[in-house]
Amino acid sequence: MTDQITIHTEGLTKHYGDVHALVDLDLAVHAGEVLGFLGPNGAGKTTTIRTIMDEIRPTAGRASILGMDTHDKSVEIRRYVGYVPDDLAMYPNLTGRDTLTYFANLRGGVDWSYVDELADRLDADLSKKVGDLSSGNRQKVGLIQAFMNRPDVLLMDEPSSGLDPLVQREFQTMMRDVAAEGRTVFLSSHALSEVQRVADRVGIIRNGHLIALEAVDSLRSKAIRRVDLYFDTHVDESVFEGVPGVREVTGENHHVVLSFDGQMETLLNVATGRYTLVDISTQEADLEEIFLAYYRDVEVTL
Amino acid sequence: MLANVFTKTTRDRWKGIAIGMATMAVLFLFGMSVYRDIDISVYTELPEALLSMMNIPKDADVGSLAYGAIYTSYGALTLAALVLVIGAGTIAGEERNGTLGLLLANPKSRTNVLLSKAGSMVLLTGLGALVLWGAGRITPVILDVNVSGIDVEALVFHIFVNALFYGFLAMAIGAWTGNRGLASGVTAGVMVLSFVAVGLLPLVESLENAAKAFPWYYFSGSEPLQNGISWGHLAVLVIGSVLFTVAAVIGFNRRDLRGQTSGVSIVDRLRATPMTQRVADQLAGSARVARIWTKTASEYQGLLFVTAALMFFVMGVLIGPMYNAIDNALLDLSDHFPEALLALFGGSDMSTPEGWYQVETFGMMAPIAVMVVTVIIGARALAGEEQHRTMGLLLANPVNRSTVLLQKAFAMVLYAFVVGFATFAGVAVGSLLGGLDMNIGNIAATSLLVTLVGLVFGALALTLSAATGRVPIATYGAVGVALVMLILNAFLPLNDNLTGYAKWSPFYYYLTSDPLTNGMHWGHGALLTGLVVALIASAVVLFQRRDLRQTR
Repeated sequence: MTDQITIHTEGLTKHYGDVHALVDLDLAVHAGEVLGFLGPNGAGKTTTIRTIMDEIRPTAGRASILGMDTHDKSVEIRRYVGYVPDDLAMYPNLTGRDTLTYFANLRGGVDWSYVDELADRLDADLSKKVGDLSSGNRQKVGLIQAFMNRPDVLLMDEPSSGLDPLVQREFQTMMRDVAAEGRTVFLSSHALSEVQRVADRVGIIRNGHLIALEAVDSLRSKAIRRVDLYFDTHVDESVFEGVPGVREVTGENHHVVLSFDGQMETLLNVATGRYTLVDISTQEADLEEIFLAYYRDVEVTL
Repeated sequence: MLANVFTKTTRDRWKGIAIGMATMAVLFLFGMSVYRDIDISVYTELPEALLSMMNIPKDADVGSLAYGAIYTSYGALTLAALVLVIGAGTIAGEERNGTLGLLLANPKSRTNVLLSKAGSMVLLTGLGALVLWGAGRITPVILDVNVSGIDVEALVFHIFVNALFYGFLAMAIGAWTGNRGLASGVTAGVMVLSFVAVGLLPLVESLENAAKAFPWYYFSGSEPLQNGISWGHLAVLVIGSVLFTVAAVIGFNRRDLRGQTSGVSIVDRLRATPMTQRVADQLAGSARVARIWTKTASEYQGLLFVTAALMFFVMGVLIGPMYNAIDNALLDLSDHFPEALLALFGGSDMSTPEGWYQVETFGMMAPIAVMVVTVIIGARALAGEEQHRTMGLLLANPVNRSTVLLQKAFAMVLYAFVVGFATFAGVAVGSLLGGLDMNIGNIAATSLLVTLVGLVFGALALTLSAATGRVPIATYGAVGVALVMLILNAFLPLNDNLTGYAKWSPFYYYLTSDPLTNGMHWGHGALLTGLVVALIASAVVLFQRRDLRQTR
């Protein structure tokens, strides 16, 4: 990741009549970065990407890619952008190779040996008509299409839908390779595990508002964990109330369950100071919990 | 019968029928009021053969003229066309949309689903006929025209049964193959051919009986407007419809459901064969996807091929020799046939080869043929990509929206000219074969003008699709405007007070100058070209500034 900003939005807003699909989005994505864009259905992920792609025009604000305004310079920009739209559709009459040729002719700069390499990595069959492919195999053609001219910026909206786990893994490696080469990936998804694996930073969007934008590592470190403490005797749960980082506590006999997002040392000091701690288990923090926590806790004012 | 399938199909489809038939009702009111105000005595002197060709009865009065001219041709064709679209979509449409599998996942048999949809088609056809009947009864009262002795009910009933015949034919082909385009294309072909044949064949004495081989004969041959319902003739159509239904049930039950794919074309087979692979690869692959316009053009090659072939062979080559087969005395009307009246059939004096070709080929069929191609491409090329969700991907490439639009427009213009050229070539060959000695330059001029007038409405469809991104709005909008303009141009000149208003119809600039006799009217040609350019330019502006649609 470098300091160079490749995707930049300022106050990007899109209203459909009374529906505020996207509100005041300020976002800067850097070269060499994979940005995961998370949110439930209808949160505004697709609206964001379609606005950046100039498919739809913002009600207010602006977006730029590589310093070029996405509307004024939309044609120039698309030389440097690879795109996988949400719910990808292609031309059923064309074979995969015909489809790629069509787009390659429009785009220029496509290295066919690289296309073959991508097809090989994703195990894609380019000789069949797109209409005869299963949705996962069709998706592979769409991915190759986005990667094939080694774009500086990849915008992908739910790109791994329909892919089997092995191919998903390969696709994630491809995204990391892109970032390693100093290029940018903007990945919209609700496959949390995938974002967790490939993204450097995560943006979380809800009801059109960006409610969090943080590095995956720091997000994980402030994750709420579930901590199970087992003692040799009954311990009243009130002991843990007031310990920094404890959010919720329930107890039953020798067993205390905590929702915890503080320093483990503080907690252990309390737990081992007066009692005998027999066993402890903490559930690993993952984005899913963070994600749910954000949606449960963060109040968004519209 | 599945009530909800029946209801849903009806709800999805009633608008087209309602709009189409309401248009007919307005046109009927308009036509009858024109006939009321002009001297129609000229009709009574016309030869019988010609009258029957024009669907006008002997001893015609205002009422029978109006019913004959509007209902028996335009009304019957329009309703049949709307119903055949429904029929073609019955099974094949849901299959194409990928919703049929879901529908059949419910515990209902294929036969049951098919028949429920067929029931809805019958109901919709009935509603359409009801509108025609209502308008046919109310209009004479409003206009105070005496229609005694005219059997409107019989005519409308014939129209109803006739429309269903084509609906069931399209349904059978669609159910058997799962290919909606094939179903509507073949059925429309059968309908148009038989309509033309039934009009033409009786003019040649030796071929009179040949008309009975065409289904349209059993609609109009018995002249229901004068003679009442002909149960014998209707029985032929009903038996045909029943057979088609049986075929649909059998065909639908025995085959695999198709995915959302489009099937295997001839080129695909050639591509799979090692010997022809290289050439076919060029054709189907690299050449096709070289440019946006080549790909657009390749998608409509079947449509172009059928239309151009029809214009070349049937409406061009065949019509020429036919001129000699007809007793010319029948057609020698120059003394007592006002030109304005013949304008209804795009016509001039039919006793000359030019007049003959103008009535048969250039009057109605040629503009319709060009418009079929231009309106379909104009409506689908742009909005179709939005509907099928491929536009976003296409525009993710470094191309302007205006480039995409102009390349698609180019494919449309190119194909319009191919149809125009096929018409020109067919008429030129027909004239040669028949020894008619027509002026080649004039044939070219007329073909050029028909290409341009067809392009006006194609460009209108393109503009509507650029503005809305919706295929149905673009298609029905352009077809509706074209139909109104065609009929206005035919009827307004009948009334001296209204004749000036015909200049508002683009069709005025097509045949009014009589190009087949007088050669090219460059002013009219330039005006039509200007209209096409203006429409395409406005399409560019409208497409640039709006959001792409997001369809699911």
